[in-house]
Amino acid sequence: MKAQPRGTDGSLLASLPWTLGALLVSLAPHVPYLAVWITVAFIGCAVWRYIIEKQRRMLPSRWIRGGLALLCFLGVFGTYSSISGVGPGSALLAIMAALKLLETRKRRDQFVLLFISIFLVMSSLLREQYLWSLPYLIGSTLIILTAWLRMSAGESETAKQSFATGGRLLMYAAPLAIVMWVFFPRLASPFWAVPIDTSQATSGLSDSMSPGDISSLSMSDAVAFRVQFDGEIPASRDLYWRGLVMTRFNGRTWTGSELTIDRTAVDEIIESGEPVSYEVTLEPTRQQWVLALDLPKEWSLPRTFMGPQQQLASVTPIEQRISYRATSYPDYILQADLSSLSRGWYTSVPDNGNARSKELATQMREAAGTDTAYIEAVLAKFHDEEYFYTLQPPALGSNPVDRFLFETRQGFCEHYASAFAFMMRSAGIPTRVILGYQGGEINPMGGHMIVRQSDAHAWTEVWLERYGWYRVDPTAAVAPERIEFGARGAALDGIGATWGFSAPSELLQSLTMTWDALNAKWNEWVLGYGPDTQDSFMEWLGMDDPNWRKMLLTLVGGVVGLILAISGLMMLRSRAPAKDRAAILYARFIRKTGLQQRTGETPQGFARRAALESEMSHHVVASVTTNYLNARYGPDAEYSLGKLRNSVAAIR
Amino acid sequence: MSSIPWQSPSRFIGYFRNNATLRVRRWARKRQGIDDSTTTLRPGRVYILPTGVGLVFGLMAFAMLLGSMNYNNNLSFVLTFMLIGIGFVAMHQCQRNLVGLELTFAGTEPVFAGQSIRFQIAIRNQSRNARYGIRIYHDRTESDVHDLQPGESKIFILPVATDQRGWIHLDRFGVRTLFPFELFRSWAWLHMDLRGLVYPRPSEKPPEPPPTRTAHGHRQHDARGEEDFAGLRKYNEGDSPRHVAWKAYARTGQLLSKQFAGADTSSQWFDFDAIPVTDIEERLSILTRWIANSDRTMEDFGLRLPGLEFPPAHGETQRRQCLEALALFGEDGK
Repeated sequence: MKAQPRGTDGSLLASLPWTLGALLVSLAPHVPYLAVWITVAFIGCAVWRYIIEKQRRMLPSRWIRGGLALLCFLGVFGTYSSISGVGPGSALLAIMAALKLLETRKRRDQFVLLFISIFLVMSSLLREQYLWSLPYLIGSTLIILTAWLRMSAGESETAKQSFATGGRLLMYAAPLAIVMWVFFPRLASPFWAVPIDTSQATSGLSDSMSPGDISSLSMSDAVAFRVQFDGEIPASRDLYWRGLVMTRFNGRTWTGSELTIDRTAVDEIIESGEPVSYEVTLEPTRQQWVLALDLPKEWSLPRTFMGPQQQLASVTPIEQRISYRATSYPDYILQADLSSLSRGWYTSVPDNGNARSKELATQMREAAGTDTAYIEAVLAKFHDEEYFYTLQPPALGSNPVDRFLFETRQGFCEHYASAFAFMMRSAGIPTRVILGYQGGEINPMGGHMIVRQSDAHAWTEVWLERYGWYRVDPTAAVAPERIEFGARGAALDGIGATWGFSAPSELLQSLTMTWDALNAKWNEWVLGYGPDTQDSFMEWLGMDDPNWRKMLLTLVGGVVGLILAISGLMMLRSRAPAKDRAAILYARFIRKTGLQQRTGETPQGFARRAALESEMSHHVVASVTTNYLNARYGPDAEYSLGKLRNSVAAIR
Repeated sequence: MSSIPWQSPSRFIGYFRNNATLRVRRWARKRQGIDDSTTTLRPGRVYILPTGVGLVFGLMAFAMLLGSMNYNNNLSFVLTFMLIGIGFVAMHQCQRNLVGLELTFAGTEPVFAGQSIRFQIAIRNQSRNARYGIRIYHDRTESDVHDLQPGESKIFILPVATDQRGWIHLDRFGVRTLFPFELFRSWAWLHMDLRGLVYPRPSEKPPEPPPTRTAHGHRQHDARGEEDFAGLRKYNEGDSPRHVAWKAYARTGQLLSKQFAGADTSSQWFDFDAIPVTDIEERLSILTRWIANSDRTMEDFGLRLPGLEFPPAHGETQRRQCLEALALFGEDGK
């Protein structure tokens, strides 16, 4: 191995700041997710390298670099305990860029740095795709291109010119990129499983429900999904978005049964009334649940099935934003017949614990006489007695149902659903708990509905002879405004009453709504541009029966057409100007001398020869030559051109 | 183990590469014909191929495309397609960067064998936009890289190594550019059949030159001593700078030479046939050295070759004529 020279000569001084800038811009979106020491190490190396170039110092020796590399890779492994995935991957890229900087002596090394910064931009897009990600990606590409041009820029090219050239080339490339983006066929399923960064798991619906364990429910404003209704938007009290169904209760916690495909489930729905059709854009949940309005009969999502309790689920967890169409029937009769086996299953409660509640249930059922009267009585109890809706309920300890019903009497939807279901089951009425979302906020800008994590809700379904499964929402009995105005309304009311806050100003509200509408369009048209959207867009463009072959053909055709157009534009830009008038006059002068201009002969050289060899007077030759040179290179070209014209015309 | 002489694969590859290069060159020459000494590059003769960096870039774009497809990530599709689009645009920009340039042979200066001769090519950008990173090349030698602003013309110097006296022919050279991103290299071949003159290599150890003869007299032309100042006359090409009346030049702006009269002048005759060496090239080499030395000391010399004679004189013209005769000795029927 030969030791490489380590000296620097300042030759990279013009391009290095741009390369460093490109790296910093591409690293910026990663900073919040990277361990702090990585950012510090990167900036340290960048500053160090710049000072080395500026002061013409030596690059660090092989030993120092090797030591640093080992230290950094151990550091990454220690911090992330893995080297695959977006997080450790971008950390490694950042470290590689920092170390590469310390051995960058030539332009070739800078190419590597720019390739790294392209990969950094790419991996930041895998992590998050907001509305501003597009301007960010265009801006960072422009900076990378400028840095690229600076690397090989000649003596006369300023940074401003490089920037302009980069921008111009990017503008030429934009239509090509758009055509390729639109027509490149999208795959329905990935080639291989992708490790998705889980550091960012969004709060969704949990698989189990233990009301007694939660003492505070955070009101997350994060969007759970957006809905675009085809027709009128149903009333808020009909907006129950079915998620998962809990069928088992161990005295503390409700859980669902193992999810299986039930092909008969959809046939158990006997719909009546008008259907509601809509399109849902669901944010990634990393869960299988697919939300739909009670009760869905049709949905457009592939590899999605209906479980035995009419819950929709995807075969694989939802890792990416998806959108699907669904049709639901708000009026229905579900499963009019229930086998005795199922009845036993839906009425089981643990033998031990919550004894007071069981006793209360038995008493109230006897007093009521019928199942419906009993349900009314329990709801009336929640409504009439001192029960409160709050997001900060006290913890319940053991026998949570007893403690809630008789002591604390404070809770949110889960507490009421759980207690109500327990009361029903104890009285022998088949009951299950549904987790999902209730309500939603209408965005007047986009005309769509936003359902947030704070709209998560729990309610119950009881099975009644002839009616089938019938939805009962015990929370409505306690806090009807929760159902009418949504969770936000209920919570804000409470806070406002306590603290005297006023509602957010209308301006702020309308700004928020505009931003949300933009985001919805962005999600729908850019991020959600998948196989289905692409097909329907192709049909809208007039392509019959779109398939990937046709799309690829169109893509190639479009790209070739655009390249021809761009080529034409470039030719137009670089076409020769109208032939130089001075040159035409000078050629006429040469013809009149009767001589031929020799290869490589300058006008002065020709003038000397013409003065000797032609019959023309040397005064004429001298004046034509001087005027010609002034017209081409002199400061007052127009004036000299006039003189040239006269002096050539004067020759006979 | 094996008795078959083993040849390294690189030699085989090298052979095929050279063979292919020769074929391509012959094809291009046949296709384009001989160029005028002023040639404008038409699009049809500007060739283009990706560079190593371009191939790596292509691989990277392909990897990014696979990644985007797999993650089904529409924004990384945007980035990928933007880079691919940049690649296409760079290809066209690279070719356009050469098209329309006007190349003109701008002469060479003769050199002694062993020195490199500098072919000067003037390139004019007659279009409305700047051209960046232009260079000319021949085999492995390259000129400096220059940018050309609209309407600008620059001289590019291509050094070519010389070995023998006589005409050196440059039957082809190329002009190329890597602009904008070094992803592509576009180039054009020119066959202008340029030639430059190479003087013989001056001998390292020449024998003593023939003795100087001193002439007493009043030679009017060329052989001027430096004893008595006789007046000023108009400067002639070839006059020694030492004789230029710089004070008068500063005063009048006109170049005048000092004349001396009644001087002793000395001159030498360099005779090809009188050199006691048998080898012709060696003789030429010795003559070259003598002439170079005399020229440096501003002494008069005459040169006598078989069938050719240059009377004693000094100055640029004398030097050039004599060296040219030596360079072309035996050629052109002389």
